[in-house]
Amino acid sequence: MKYICSVCGYVYDEDSEKIPFTELPDDWTCPMCKAPKSLFESEEETEAPEIREIEESDDMEQLSPGVLAALFSNLARGAQKQYKTRESELFSEIAGYFTAASPSLPEADPEMIKELTENDLTILYRNLNDIASSAADRGALRVKVWGEKVTKIVNAIGSRYIREGGDFLSSTEIWVCSICGFVYIGDTPPAICPVCKVPDWKFDRIEGGT
Amino acid sequence: MKRIAVRNLRLCTKDCLCLYVCPNGATDTEDSIIDKDKCIGCGVCADACPSKAISMVIQDYPPQQKKKESVVNAINRLAENKAKEEKAARQIASSTTDNNLRRLMNAVARSSRLVAEDLLREGGYMLPQSSNSLDLLASLIAAPPSDEFPMKAANEILSTIECNDRTGRGKYRCTVCFTEFEEEDDGEKPSCPMCHAEGKALEKL
Ligand code: SF4
Ligand code: SF4
Ligand SMILES: [Zn+2]
Ligand SMILES: [Zn+2]
Repeated sequence: MKYICSVCGYVYDEDSEKIPFTELPDDWTCPMCKAPKSLFESEEETEAPEIREIEESDDMEQLSPGVLAALFSNLARGAQKQYKTRESELFSEIAGYFTAASPSLPEADPEMIKELTENDLTILYRNLNDIASSAADRGALRVKVWGEKVTKIVNAIGSRYIREGGDFLSSTEIWVCSICGFVYIGDTPPAICPVCKVPDWKFDRIEGGT
Repeated sequence: MKRIAVRNLRLCTKDCLCLYVCPNGATDTEDSIIDKDKCIGCGVCADACPSKAISMVIQDYPPQQKKKESVVNAINRLAENKAKEEKAARQIASSTTDNNLRRLMNAVARSSRLVAEDLLREGGYMLPQSSNSLDLLASLIAAPPSDEFPMKAANEILSTIECNDRTGRGKYRCTVCFTEFEEEDDGEKPSCPMCHAEGKALEKL
Protein backbone atom coordinates (compact mmCIF):
# COMPACT_ATOMS: atom_id res chain seq x y z
CA MET A 1 0.00 0.00 0.00
CA LYS A 2 1.09 3.57 -0.70
CA TYR A 3 0.40 6.54 1.57
CA ILE A 4 0.52 10.04 0.17
CA CYS A 5 1.19 13.31 2.01
CA SER A 6 -1.81 15.56 1.34
CA VAL A 7 0.36 18.66 1.69
CA CYS A 8 3.42 18.01 -0.48
CA GLY A 9 2.60 14.78 -2.31
CA TYR A 10 5.43 12.73 -0.75
CA VAL A 11 4.75 9.01 -1.20
CA TYR A 12 5.37 6.50 1.59
CA ASP A 13 5.52 3.20 -0.26
CA GLU A 14 5.26 0.24 2.11
CA ASP A 15 6.82 -2.04 -0.50
CA SER A 16 10.12 -0.20 -0.30
CA GLU A 17 10.02 0.78 3.39
CA LYS A 18 10.74 -1.51 6.31
CA ILE A 19 7.89 -0.45 8.54
CA PRO A 20 4.18 -0.63 7.62
CA PHE A 21 2.66 2.85 7.65
CA THR A 22 0.23 2.15 10.49
CA GLU A 23 3.09 1.01 12.72
CA LEU A 24 5.06 4.24 12.37
CA PRO A 25 5.17 6.17 15.67
CA ASP A 26 2.48 8.82 16.19
CA ASP A 27 5.02 11.62 16.13
CA TRP A 28 6.41 10.53 12.76
CA THR A 29 6.25 13.39 10.23
CA CYS A 30 6.56 13.76 6.48
CA PRO A 31 10.28 13.86 5.58
CA MET A 32 9.60 16.57 3.01
CA CYS A 33 7.21 19.03 4.65
CA LYS A 34 6.89 17.76 8.24
CA ALA A 35 3.15 17.25 7.97
CA PRO A 36 1.98 14.88 10.73
CA LYS A 37 1.06 11.27 10.00
CA SER A 38 -2.64 12.15 10.18
CA LEU A 39 -2.35 14.25 7.00
CA PHE A 40 -1.37 11.20 4.95
CA GLU A 41 -4.03 9.46 2.91
CA SER A 42 -3.82 5.91 1.63
CA GLU A 43 -3.90 5.55 -2.12
CA GLU A 44 -7.41 4.10 -2.00
CA GLU A 45 -8.87 6.93 0.01
CA THR A 46 -7.66 9.55 -2.41
CA GLU A 47 -9.20 7.80 -5.39
CA ALA A 48 -12.82 7.96 -4.28
CA PRO A 49 -14.23 11.40 -4.96
CA GLU A 50 -17.43 11.81 -3.02
CA ILE A 51 -20.33 13.61 -4.55
CA ARG A 52 -21.60 16.44 -2.48
CA GLU A 53 -24.41 18.85 -2.70
CA ILE A 54 -23.11 22.23 -3.77
CA GLU A 55 -23.80 24.79 -1.14
CA GLU A 56 -24.33 28.17 -2.78
CA SER A 57 -23.70 30.84 -0.24
CA ASP A 58 -25.55 34.08 0.09
CA ASP A 59 -24.10 37.31 -1.07
CA MET A 60 -21.84 38.77 1.52
CA GLU A 61 -23.25 42.10 2.53
CA GLN A 62 -19.95 43.81 3.13
CA LEU A 63 -16.33 42.89 3.48
CA SER A 64 -15.14 43.17 7.07
CA PRO A 65 -12.22 45.44 8.07
CA GLY A 66 -9.96 42.38 8.39
CA VAL A 67 -10.67 41.33 4.81
CA LEU A 68 -10.27 44.90 3.56
CA ALA A 69 -6.85 44.96 5.27
CA ALA A 70 -5.78 41.92 3.23
CA LEU A 71 -7.40 43.31 0.10
CA PHE A 72 -5.41 46.55 0.32
CA SER A 73 -2.12 44.95 1.38
CA ASN A 74 -2.56 42.75 -1.67
CA LEU A 75 -3.05 45.81 -3.88
CA ALA A 76 0.07 47.32 -2.31
CA ARG A 77 1.98 44.25 -3.48
CA GLY A 78 0.35 44.49 -6.89
CA ALA A 79 1.39 48.13 -7.23
CA GLN A 80 4.93 47.27 -6.14
CA LYS A 81 5.18 44.63 -8.86
CA GLN A 82 4.35 47.32 -11.42
CA TYR A 83 7.02 49.60 -9.93
CA LYS A 84 4.31 51.98 -8.67
CA THR A 85 6.17 52.68 -5.45
CA ARG A 86 4.16 55.70 -4.33
CA GLU A 87 0.81 53.99 -4.91
CA SER A 88 2.10 50.92 -3.09
CA GLU A 89 2.84 53.04 -0.01
CA LEU A 90 -0.62 54.57 -0.16
CA PHE A 91 -2.31 51.17 -0.42
CA SER A 92 -0.21 49.99 2.54
CA GLU A 93 -1.38 52.97 4.55
CA ILE A 94 -5.01 52.05 3.88
CA ALA A 95 -4.28 48.40 4.70
CA GLY A 96 -2.73 49.50 7.99
CA TYR A 97 -5.82 51.51 8.81
CA PHE A 98 -8.06 48.46 8.33
CA THR A 99 -5.70 46.15 10.25
CA ALA A 100 -5.99 48.51 13.22
CA ALA A 101 -9.75 48.97 12.75
CA SER A 102 -10.47 45.23 12.83
CA PRO A 103 -12.56 44.70 16.00
CA SER A 104 -11.11 42.56 18.82
CA LEU A 105 -12.36 39.02 19.22
CA PRO A 106 -13.55 37.99 22.66
CA GLU A 107 -11.18 35.46 24.22
CA ALA A 108 -8.85 34.57 21.39
CA ASP A 109 -6.80 31.44 22.16
CA PRO A 110 -5.06 28.70 20.16
CA GLU A 111 -8.23 26.61 20.44
CA MET A 112 -10.07 29.27 18.44
CA ILE A 113 -7.53 29.09 15.63
CA LYS A 114 -7.85 25.32 15.61
CA GLU A 115 -11.64 25.59 15.29
CA LEU A 116 -11.52 28.23 12.56
CA THR A 117 -9.05 26.24 10.47
CA GLU A 118 -11.13 23.08 10.98
CA ASN A 119 -14.13 24.97 9.67
CA ASP A 120 -12.08 26.07 6.63
CA LEU A 121 -11.06 22.49 5.90
CA THR A 122 -14.30 20.65 6.52
CA ILE A 123 -16.70 23.16 4.98
CA LEU A 124 -15.34 26.22 3.22
CA TYR A 125 -12.55 24.73 1.10
CA ARG A 126 -14.71 21.78 0.09
CA ASN A 127 -17.40 24.18 -0.89
CA LEU A 128 -15.00 26.30 -2.93
CA ASN A 129 -13.71 23.12 -4.55
CA ASP A 130 -17.20 22.06 -5.66
CA ILE A 131 -18.24 25.49 -6.89
CA ALA A 132 -14.96 26.13 -8.71
CA SER A 133 -15.04 22.66 -10.32
CA SER A 134 -18.56 23.09 -11.58
CA ALA A 135 -17.63 26.50 -12.96
CA ALA A 136 -14.45 25.00 -14.49
CA ASP A 137 -12.54 27.85 -12.87
CA ARG A 138 -8.87 26.82 -12.83
CA GLY A 139 -7.64 29.91 -11.05
CA ALA A 140 -10.08 29.38 -8.20
CA LEU A 141 -9.07 25.70 -7.99
CA ARG A 142 -5.41 26.70 -7.76
CA VAL A 143 -6.10 29.13 -4.92
CA LYS A 144 -8.12 26.40 -3.22
CA VAL A 145 -5.31 23.83 -3.45
CA TRP A 146 -2.63 26.13 -2.07
CA GLY A 147 -4.79 27.61 0.66
CA GLU A 148 -6.11 24.25 1.77
CA LYS A 149 -2.61 22.80 2.13
CA VAL A 150 -1.40 25.80 4.11
CA THR A 151 -4.48 25.61 6.32
CA LYS A 152 -3.82 21.90 7.02
CA ILE A 153 -0.31 22.69 8.21
CA VAL A 154 -1.45 25.62 10.36
CA ASN A 155 -4.15 23.43 11.88
CA ALA A 156 -1.68 20.59 12.52
CA ILE A 157 0.93 22.83 14.17
CA GLY A 158 -1.73 24.60 16.24
CA SER A 159 -3.16 21.27 17.39
CA ARG A 160 0.28 20.08 18.37
CA TYR A 161 0.81 23.21 20.45
CA ILE A 162 -2.50 22.62 22.23
CA ARG A 163 -1.61 18.96 22.88
CA GLU A 164 1.93 19.28 24.09
CA GLY A 165 2.79 22.94 24.66
CA GLY A 166 5.51 24.94 22.90
CA ASP A 167 8.68 22.99 23.75
CA PHE A 168 8.93 21.65 20.22
CA LEU A 169 9.53 25.23 19.07
CA SER A 170 12.14 26.13 21.68
CA SER A 171 15.44 25.46 20.00
CA THR A 172 14.46 25.83 16.37
CA GLU A 173 13.11 28.40 13.92
CA ILE A 174 9.67 29.06 12.41
CA TRP A 175 9.56 29.96 8.71
CA VAL A 176 6.73 31.25 6.52
CA CYS A 177 6.77 31.08 2.72
CA SER A 178 6.30 34.69 1.63
CA ILE A 179 4.38 33.59 -1.46
CA CYS A 180 1.81 31.02 -0.28
CA GLY A 181 1.97 31.24 3.54
CA PHE A 182 3.23 27.68 4.16
CA VAL A 183 4.58 27.36 7.73
CA TYR A 184 7.70 25.27 8.38
CA ILE A 185 9.47 24.46 11.62
CA GLY A 186 13.17 23.67 11.38
CA ASP A 187 16.64 25.16 11.63
CA THR A 188 16.70 26.04 7.94
CA PRO A 189 13.80 26.44 5.47
CA PRO A 190 13.12 23.65 2.95
CA ALA A 191 15.03 23.91 -0.35
CA ILE A 192 11.76 24.52 -2.17
CA CYS A 193 8.34 25.32 -0.76
CA PRO A 194 6.36 22.04 -0.65
CA VAL A 195 3.17 23.92 -1.58
CA CYS A 196 4.04 26.60 -4.16
CA LYS A 197 7.56 25.44 -5.14
CA VAL A 198 9.45 28.72 -4.69
CA PRO A 199 13.11 28.45 -3.54
CA ASP A 200 14.19 28.71 0.11
CA TRP A 201 15.18 32.38 0.00
CA LYS A 202 11.51 33.26 -0.37
CA PHE A 203 10.96 32.03 3.21
CA ASP A 204 10.88 34.57 6.05
CA ARG A 205 12.13 33.71 9.52
CA ILE A 206 9.53 34.66 12.11
CA GLU A 207 10.74 36.66 15.08
CA GLY A 208 9.24 36.78 18.55
CA GLY A 209 8.60 40.54 18.69
CA THR A 210 5.17 41.95 17.99
CA MET B 1 0.82 47.08 -25.80
CA LYS B 2 2.24 50.24 -24.26
CA ARG B 3 5.43 49.72 -22.27
CA ILE B 4 7.86 51.91 -20.42
CA ALA B 5 11.36 51.30 -19.11
CA VAL B 6 11.92 51.01 -15.35
CA ARG B 7 15.36 50.86 -13.80
CA ASN B 8 16.15 48.67 -10.82
CA LEU B 9 18.33 50.99 -8.78
CA ARG B 10 19.89 48.14 -6.83
CA LEU B 11 21.34 46.58 -9.96
CA CYS B 12 22.19 49.76 -11.84
CA THR B 13 25.80 51.02 -11.80
CA LYS B 14 24.59 54.47 -12.93
CA ASP B 15 27.36 55.13 -15.36
CA CYS B 16 26.79 53.58 -18.72
CA LEU B 17 25.08 52.60 -21.90
CA CYS B 18 21.41 53.32 -21.38
CA LEU B 19 22.23 57.01 -21.07
CA TYR B 20 23.91 56.88 -24.45
CA VAL B 21 21.36 54.86 -26.44
CA CYS B 22 18.03 56.39 -25.40
CA PRO B 23 16.61 58.30 -28.39
CA ASN B 24 14.64 60.61 -26.15
CA GLY B 25 16.90 61.41 -23.20
CA ALA B 26 14.56 59.63 -20.81
CA THR B 27 17.23 57.71 -18.93
CA ASP B 28 19.55 60.56 -18.04
CA THR B 29 17.90 61.87 -14.88
CA GLU B 30 19.35 63.17 -11.64
CA ASP B 31 17.47 60.71 -9.40
CA SER B 32 18.16 57.81 -11.81
CA ILE B 33 14.43 57.12 -12.18
CA ILE B 34 13.63 56.91 -15.89
CA ASP B 35 11.39 59.78 -16.95
CA LYS B 36 8.14 58.04 -17.82
CA ASP B 37 6.79 61.03 -19.71
CA LYS B 38 9.76 61.01 -22.08
CA CYS B 39 10.10 57.24 -22.48
CA ILE B 40 8.57 56.00 -25.72
CA GLY B 41 8.98 52.34 -24.80
CA CYS B 42 11.42 51.38 -27.55
CA GLY B 43 13.31 48.99 -25.25
CA VAL B 44 16.76 49.91 -26.58
CA CYS B 45 18.05 50.81 -23.13
CA ALA B 46 16.98 47.46 -21.67
CA ASP B 47 18.83 45.63 -24.44
CA ALA B 48 21.92 47.77 -23.97
CA CYS B 49 22.18 47.54 -20.21
CA PRO B 50 25.05 45.19 -19.22
CA SER B 51 23.65 44.71 -15.72
CA LYS B 52 20.10 43.65 -16.66
CA ALA B 53 18.94 46.58 -14.57
CA ILE B 54 16.12 47.75 -16.85
CA SER B 55 12.77 46.03 -17.28
CA MET B 56 10.15 46.97 -19.77
CA VAL B 57 6.92 47.30 -17.81
CA ILE B 58 3.54 46.94 -19.44
CA GLN B 59 1.33 49.99 -19.02
CA ASP B 60 -2.08 48.82 -20.10
CA TYR B 61 -3.07 45.50 -18.65
CA PRO B 62 -5.97 43.54 -20.07
CA PRO B 63 -8.96 43.26 -17.72
CA GLN B 64 -8.95 40.40 -15.20
CA GLN B 65 -11.28 37.63 -16.26
CA LYS B 66 -14.72 37.94 -14.72
CA LYS B 67 -15.51 35.41 -11.99
CA LYS B 68 -18.84 33.73 -11.43
CA GLU B 69 -20.64 35.26 -8.49
CA SER B 70 -20.89 31.90 -6.70
CA VAL B 71 -17.10 31.50 -6.91
CA VAL B 72 -16.53 35.02 -5.59
CA ASN B 73 -18.89 34.34 -2.68
CA ALA B 74 -17.13 31.11 -1.76
CA ILE B 75 -13.77 32.91 -1.95
CA ASN B 76 -14.97 35.80 0.20
CA ARG B 77 -16.30 33.49 2.88
CA LEU B 78 -12.88 31.90 3.18
CA ALA B 79 -11.20 35.30 3.23
CA GLU B 80 -13.45 36.28 6.15
CA ASN B 81 -12.31 33.23 8.11
CA LYS B 82 -8.67 33.88 7.26
CA ALA B 83 -9.04 37.46 8.51
CA LYS B 84 -10.46 36.13 11.77
CA GLU B 85 -7.58 33.67 12.12
CA GLU B 86 -5.13 36.52 11.59
CA LYS B 87 -6.88 38.68 14.17
CA ALA B 88 -7.01 35.89 16.74
CA ALA B 89 -3.31 35.13 16.18
CA ARG B 90 -2.37 38.81 16.57
CA GLN B 91 -4.32 39.08 19.81
CA ILE B 92 -2.74 35.95 21.26
CA ALA B 93 0.74 37.10 20.19
CA SER B 94 0.33 40.48 21.85
CA SER B 95 -1.02 39.13 25.13
CA THR B 96 1.16 36.09 25.77
CA THR B 97 4.43 36.02 27.72
CA ASP B 98 5.44 32.68 26.18
CA ASN B 99 7.95 33.47 23.45
CA ASN B 100 7.29 30.20 21.61
CA LEU B 101 3.59 30.90 21.43
CA ARG B 102 4.25 34.47 20.31
CA ARG B 103 6.48 33.29 17.46
CA LEU B 104 3.96 30.68 16.43
CA MET B 105 1.12 33.19 16.44
CA ASN B 106 3.18 35.72 14.47
CA ALA B 107 3.67 32.98 11.90
CA VAL B 108 -0.05 32.15 11.83
CA ALA B 109 -0.96 35.84 11.43
CA ARG B 110 1.48 36.22 8.55
CA SER B 111 0.35 32.99 6.92
CA SER B 112 -3.37 33.82 7.20
CA ARG B 113 -2.77 37.24 5.68
CA LEU B 114 -0.91 35.73 2.72
CA VAL B 115 -3.66 33.18 2.12
CA ALA B 116 -6.33 35.90 2.32
CA GLU B 117 -4.38 38.08 -0.12
CA ASP B 118 -4.13 35.21 -2.57
CA LEU B 119 -7.88 34.54 -2.27
CA LEU B 120 -8.77 38.18 -2.86
CA ARG B 121 -6.43 38.42 -5.82
CA GLU B 122 -8.19 35.47 -7.36
CA GLY B 123 -11.60 36.89 -6.42
CA GLY B 124 -11.15 39.98 -8.60
CA TYR B 125 -8.61 42.27 -6.94
CA MET B 126 -5.52 41.33 -8.91
CA LEU B 127 -4.81 44.78 -10.32
CA PRO B 128 -4.75 48.11 -8.51
CA GLN B 129 -6.04 49.72 -11.72
CA SER B 130 -9.11 47.50 -12.12
CA SER B 131 -12.56 49.04 -11.76
CA ASN B 132 -13.12 46.60 -8.86
CA SER B 133 -10.26 48.14 -6.90
CA LEU B 134 -10.93 51.74 -7.87
CA ASP B 135 -14.69 51.54 -7.31
CA LEU B 136 -14.09 50.11 -3.86
CA LEU B 137 -11.82 53.06 -3.06
CA ALA B 138 -14.40 55.49 -4.41
CA SER B 139 -17.12 53.94 -2.25
CA LEU B 140 -14.89 54.21 0.84
CA ILE B 141 -14.25 57.86 0.08
CA ALA B 142 -17.98 58.48 -0.37
CA ALA B 143 -18.80 56.78 2.94
CA PRO B 144 -15.64 56.61 5.06
CA PRO B 145 -15.85 53.91 7.77
CA SER B 146 -14.48 56.34 10.40
CA ASP B 147 -12.76 59.71 10.81
CA GLU B 148 -9.36 58.03 10.82
CA PHE B 149 -9.82 56.57 7.34
CA PRO B 150 -6.82 57.81 5.26
CA MET B 151 -8.81 59.96 2.83
CA LYS B 152 -5.75 61.67 1.39
CA ALA B 153 -4.14 58.38 0.46
CA ALA B 154 -7.34 57.08 -1.13
CA ASN B 155 -7.86 60.28 -3.11
CA GLU B 156 -4.27 60.36 -4.28
CA ILE B 157 -4.54 56.79 -5.62
CA LEU B 158 -7.74 57.62 -7.47
CA SER B 159 -6.18 60.67 -9.07
CA THR B 160 -2.99 58.90 -10.20
CA ILE B 161 -4.09 55.42 -11.27
CA GLU B 162 -5.95 55.15 -14.52
CA CYS B 163 -8.60 52.44 -14.79
CA ASN B 164 -7.75 49.63 -17.23
CA ASP B 165 -11.14 48.04 -17.79
CA ARG B 166 -13.89 50.65 -17.70
CA THR B 167 -16.00 49.67 -20.68
CA GLY B 168 -16.40 52.88 -22.68
CA ARG B 169 -18.51 55.01 -20.39
CA GLY B 170 -20.50 57.13 -22.83
CA LYS B 171 -20.88 60.89 -22.62
CA TYR B 172 -24.30 62.38 -23.31
CA ARG B 173 -25.98 65.76 -23.73
CA CYS B 174 -29.59 66.06 -22.64
CA THR B 175 -31.64 67.82 -25.33
CA VAL B 176 -34.26 68.85 -22.77
CA CYS B 177 -32.16 70.71 -20.19
CA PHE B 178 -28.79 70.72 -22.02
CA THR B 179 -26.91 69.05 -19.17
CA GLU B 180 -23.83 67.11 -20.26
CA PHE B 181 -23.10 64.00 -18.24
CA GLU B 182 -21.26 60.67 -18.15
CA GLU B 183 -23.11 57.40 -18.16
CA GLU B 184 -23.10 55.57 -14.79
CA ASP B 185 -21.41 52.19 -14.60
CA ASP B 186 -24.47 50.53 -13.07
CA GLY B 187 -25.86 48.72 -16.10
CA GLU B 188 -28.97 50.92 -16.14
CA LYS B 189 -30.09 52.84 -19.23
CA PRO B 190 -28.49 56.30 -19.30
CA SER B 191 -30.72 59.03 -17.93
CA CYS B 192 -30.15 62.74 -17.39
CA PRO B 193 -29.11 63.45 -13.79
CA MET B 194 -30.96 66.81 -13.86
CA CYS B 195 -34.32 66.19 -15.53
CA HIS B 196 -34.31 62.36 -15.79
CA ALA B 197 -34.90 62.45 -19.55
CA GLU B 198 -34.05 59.15 -21.26
CA GLY B 199 -33.78 57.52 -24.67
CA LYS B 200 -34.20 59.80 -27.70
CA ALA B 201 -33.98 62.94 -25.57
CA LEU B 202 -30.30 62.16 -25.03
CA GLU B 203 -27.65 62.91 -27.60
CA LYS B 204 -24.51 60.78 -27.52
CA LEU B 205 -21.32 62.86 -27.64
S1 SF4 C 1 12.68 52.40 -23.63
FE1 SF4 C 1 13.58 53.69 -25.25
S2 SF4 C 1 12.71 55.71 -24.82
FE2 SF4 C 1 12.34 54.50 -22.98
S3 SF4 C 1 14.08 54.98 -21.69
FE3 SF4 C 1 14.60 53.12 -22.83
S4 SF4 C 1 15.71 53.86 -24.63
FE4 SF4 C 1 14.66 55.62 -23.74
S1 SF4 D 1 23.01 50.69 -18.75
FE1 SF4 D 1 22.09 49.62 -16.99
S2 SF4 D 1 23.67 49.67 -15.40
FE2 SF4 D 1 24.27 51.17 -16.95
S3 SF4 D 1 23.43 53.10 -16.19
FE3 SF4 D 1 21.89 52.21 -17.55
S4 SF4 D 1 20.55 51.01 -16.22
FE4 SF4 D 1 22.39 51.47 -15.07
ZN1 LIG E 1 4.59 16.23 3.05
ZN1 LIG F 1 5.08 28.58 -0.76
